[in-house]
Amino acid sequence: MADRRYESLVLIHPDQGEAGAKELTARMRTLLEEQGATISQVQEWGLRELAYPIAKQRRAAYVLFEYRAEPRALVEFERNLKLMDPIVRFVSVRQAENAPPAQMRFAGRPEREEGESEGEEVGGGEPEDEAMSEGEA
Amino acid sequence: MARERTPSRGPRRRGMGRRKVCRFCADKALLIDYKDARTLGNFLSERGKVIPARITGNCARHQRRLTTAVKQARTVALLPYTAVYP
Repeated sequence: MADRRYESLVLIHPDQGEAGAKELTARMRTLLEEQGATISQVQEWGLRELAYPIAKQRRAAYVLFEYRAEPRALVEFERNLKLMDPIVRFVSVRQAENAPPAQMRFAGRPEREEGESEGEEVGGGEPEDEAMSEGEA
Repeated sequence: MARERTPSRGPRRRGMGRRKVCRFCADKALLIDYKDARTLGNFLSERGKVIPARITGNCARHQRRLTTAVKQARTVALLPYTAVYP
């Protein structure tokens, strides 16, 4: 009863490749399950361009875990993530109980694929930001 | 539209602009999610700074959630901290 709804977005170093990322994902999954978490969804976003370089890399593989677990399990999971070298970054967020499950659409542009289709969104500084990061890439 | 009752304090709203409404209040389907970099990006300046609610018209509650989401998104490099990174 005391378990809560969490989600963790994990960034895997691109040198791991697709196979390595898959393996790490499986490892994290078992890690969560060992902690008594019930995983509701795992989304693999694949390699994505980073908004800024992390670990001298311009891209990373994103994996999103949605699960229910106790707070203690989350702490242990995060501790393990920190110990895994190929994990360059992660963020865990507590989700509201009534929040809809994460949509795949957030996975967004998966790495240079019709990257310019952003134009439809008007207003705000986003298109400019896009153009800048694209130019430097 | 304009309030005529207090001329002593001068016009309440200077200029022509209409009152902005909070986009998240107006559109209940629009959720604030740190993963939704595209929506959040609309509330960032070209430099990648959060645009004040004063400009965007967001209500306080949603502005609060927005800034939190922006910060979470920055952690995982979905949004930039700055347009020109060091």
